[in-house]
Amino acid sequence: MRAERFFGRRMAGVVWHVVCGLIAAGLLFSARLETGAQTVPPAPSAPRPVSIPRPVERRLRNGLRVIVIEDKNMPLVAAQMVINNGSEVDPPLLSGAADLTASLLTKGTQTRTAPEIARAIEALGGTLESGAGWDASKVALNVMSDKIDAAMAIMADVIRNPSFKEDEIARLRQQYLDNLSVALSQPGTLASFVASRVVFGDSPYGHPVSGTPESLARIKREDIVALHSKYYRPDNAILVFGGDIRPETAFRLAERYFGDWPRPATPIPQVAPEKNTQGGSRAEAHPRVVVIDMPGAGQAAVVLARAGIRRTDPDYFTGIVANSVLGGGYSSRLNQEIRIKRGLSYGASSALGARRDTGPFIASAQTKNQSAPEVASLLISELGQLASEPITAAELTPRKAALIGNFGRSLETNGGLVAQISQLATYGLSLDQLNRFIENVQAVTADAVQRFAATRISPQGANLIIAGDAKEFLAELRKKFPNVEVIPAARLDLNSAALQRAGEQAPSGPGL
Amino acid sequence: MLKKSCSALLISLIVAGSGSIFPALIAQVRIPQIDYKERTLANGLKVYSVRNTSSPTVAINVWYKVGSKDDPANRSGFAHLFEHMMFKATKNMKPETFDRLTEDVGGYNNASTWPDYTYYHEVVPSNYLETLLWAEADRMGSLVVEDSFFKSERDVVEEEYRQRVLAQPYGRLFYLLLNTRSYTTHPYKRPTIGSIEDLEAATIDDVRAFHATYYRPDNAVLIVVGDFDQKQLDAWVDKYFAGIPRPDKPVPRVQSKEPERRAEQRFTEYGPNVPLPAVAITYLVPPAASSDAMPLQIAEAILSAGESSRLYQSLVYEQQIAQEAFASYDRREDESLFYLGAILASGKRPDEAERALLAEVTRMQQQPVAAAELDKVKNQLITSALRERETNNGKAEAIGYAVTMYGDAARVNTDLDRLRAVTAADVQRVMQKYFTAANRVVISYQQETRQPAGDKAGARSGPQPDSVGAARKGGTR
Repeated sequence: MRAERFFGRRMAGVVWHVVCGLIAAGLLFSARLETGAQTVPPAPSAPRPVSIPRPVERRLRNGLRVIVIEDKNMPLVAAQMVINNGSEVDPPLLSGAADLTASLLTKGTQTRTAPEIARAIEALGGTLESGAGWDASKVALNVMSDKIDAAMAIMADVIRNPSFKEDEIARLRQQYLDNLSVALSQPGTLASFVASRVVFGDSPYGHPVSGTPESLARIKREDIVALHSKYYRPDNAILVFGGDIRPETAFRLAERYFGDWPRPATPIPQVAPEKNTQGGSRAEAHPRVVVIDMPGAGQAAVVLARAGIRRTDPDYFTGIVANSVLGGGYSSRLNQEIRIKRGLSYGASSALGARRDTGPFIASAQTKNQSAPEVASLLISELGQLASEPITAAELTPRKAALIGNFGRSLETNGGLVAQISQLATYGLSLDQLNRFIENVQAVTADAVQRFAATRISPQGANLIIAGDAKEFLAELRKKFPNVEVIPAARLDLNSAALQRAGEQAPSGPGL
Repeated sequence: MLKKSCSALLISLIVAGSGSIFPALIAQVRIPQIDYKERTLANGLKVYSVRNTSSPTVAINVWYKVGSKDDPANRSGFAHLFEHMMFKATKNMKPETFDRLTEDVGGYNNASTWPDYTYYHEVVPSNYLETLLWAEADRMGSLVVEDSFFKSERDVVEEEYRQRVLAQPYGRLFYLLLNTRSYTTHPYKRPTIGSIEDLEAATIDDVRAFHATYYRPDNAVLIVVGDFDQKQLDAWVDKYFAGIPRPDKPVPRVQSKEPERRAEQRFTEYGPNVPLPAVAITYLVPPAASSDAMPLQIAEAILSAGESSRLYQSLVYEQQIAQEAFASYDRREDESLFYLGAILASGKRPDEAERALLAEVTRMQQQPVAAAELDKVKNQLITSALRERETNNGKAEAIGYAVTMYGDAARVNTDLDRLRAVTAADVQRVMQKYFTAANRVVISYQQETRQPAGDKAGARSGPQPDSVGAARKGGTR
């Protein structure tokens, strides 16, 4: 919660960099004028090719997979330990357990206290962060390359020997509860929590990663210890290095700090993937319209949400191109219609959250409370139009370029490189997808995008969630959506798909 | 959830062979220098370039020395609204042409408005460098504003206000109150984001006048970092920028001076949807160019950099008074702010947090920081400077900041030596000098339902509240 003193054209924060000029000079460019001031943009020269570094890998005897991608341009190294399970393995009543477990790793080991860990890493100028997300738990180290050895010793200690002391659990639990109270007072965060419950019901992707007030109160030390011993094992983990480090050095460090990490005799835990789709398909058959009433909210968050695809879906690249056309990036259709043409929002976007199992597809924008119904209609109509009308090459080509450019920029930092590799490895995908991203995107056709929009992310299966000051927009919204469920924020229950505790239904009632 | 940590690459480095006098870790840190080329055109435009061919991309920055402190009277937020208009039309470009020239070819653009400056940047495949130089020159030379897109873009900025200030539980504190309560006289007292009323009052004539006054070559810095041929770059810069005239009149500068504070001031403020109370304490401190700036940066890091920092260890970890604690040296061209504060843990009172924050200030005043802790924060600051310079754009921003704020590009390289040279005594001295009771403003911020009846004016002491507060008129359209 730092005060930002600057105000940009758009919320940013990403680092920049680009994959080369894949696009031939389009209609925009014409011959330059030879006399007087130039009134048209000069055309680009010939592009230079891009090279993306290639990862190398090795498996230790205990099953730990080690991947290294060397890039010597800065004297920095990023290292990440990825555990192949995250918040989707939270026990049903204990949502937040995986994230709490991962966060507690840096809060004390058999030989180091939490303050000692922070001091040791920061004295090296480094950062060491841990947490869980969907499908993976991670410990991430970032440090100058000449300090990698000393920093790895601490990283290995927190992964292998966490103490999970009761007082640290109590302290972190309280921080989570306080964080949650802040998150729940923001319409955007609140709407996204509700969207997950609505799309995934009571299945594993339905709860907030960081838990609910009720579930956090129930998590005990033994639950955390059990979770750690079940999932944190070398044959269920991937160690990725990126940056100014030679592969031999990285493999040697991996062997030194993790070579004697014992592999348990028990089989690797499997997660039944069909669990999640149930939630998704149920929601698709009966889409809901949910308003979370937050009196005094400074804006309304409007979210259109439905089940999307798995990361391993053969249509993955079609999906991300479709998303780039619809809502991925500044000049995508949603931002064109909602921000640029109508001034209704600071930014409208969509995201295809492809996961191990079917993930969410979400289109969203924040707007002044009175405009929420108009923004909801625009999100729905744009999604429908993507399915019903062909996409021209003049639109598709730049949206592919934008997608490729974003990908290229994500590889510009060690942290970004490591994150991309981790994602491929976690989902069991070939690492050469990193080098084949551009051709995979370029191969997507306009027909395929339209078909994807019609069959995989159609608005017919989508739920509408609005968090905001309901008195400003409810009457207007009801005209279009008579089945709206209204839930006062104070009565919201994120523990189940009902979203309210039994007997607490608001007078308007859930009208499916 | 994992916070994304940023890191490294794509920059060819010249490693400084500096002979540090510091032992231990600091001595091992090798700091890559930024090797820039500098020239000034006849019309006053300063141009900096750094060649790096490790990837076929190039970053272009244009920094203008105009910020929210230059907002016209009764037009708070105008410099930022203006920045948005720079992505609309020029004599030769339709609205959003910049997106066609960047995003559509795999590039990127954005801009930021700060109290003292505004900057614009693009990253594009390097074969588009000439195209973007033409475009930047074009919007420096001419800007076209039409009613239709002026109004819709102003609506966008008002939504930005609502999203950042009104929809976030502490938006009013960080975006509005820190400025409005800390300054009495200097235009820094107006928030950069402005107010809905002042944004609504802005006109197209204001936009034209602002462009004519401030967007001129002798008030700008052009920085190009990445894959280019130096001779070719110089020729393109001459071709597109040299013809932009330098106006006869000098650029107007803010002359106002913030008076010294003479007594502690306290404010109690309220807003909707504030789940936990917050406290902020601000001090008036010297400008960015002051020789005390570096010790103040070190003090900021000692207090707030990472989980080993003093505020985290004391307020969040040990005493568990705060859910989050922060300190920031908000460096500006004129009198600057140093603020520290906390968002409270549930069940704690603002006065407890204030006492704990002040205890950490006192500790730094009474005892010199130990050598190991000083080394630690220097390592943190040096490593984070390295991370910021990983990208072509990061290096361009470092140069733009140094030239705009210090008038000296060399600071991108010499600052790291300045940082190394700071001693424990320097830190103790600035803490004693500036962190006095008479020089502090204390703001407490809480849920509006806690406001006592009959105290609806907002402030308990000091000046009456301005346009900040609970019943903020969102959605005036």
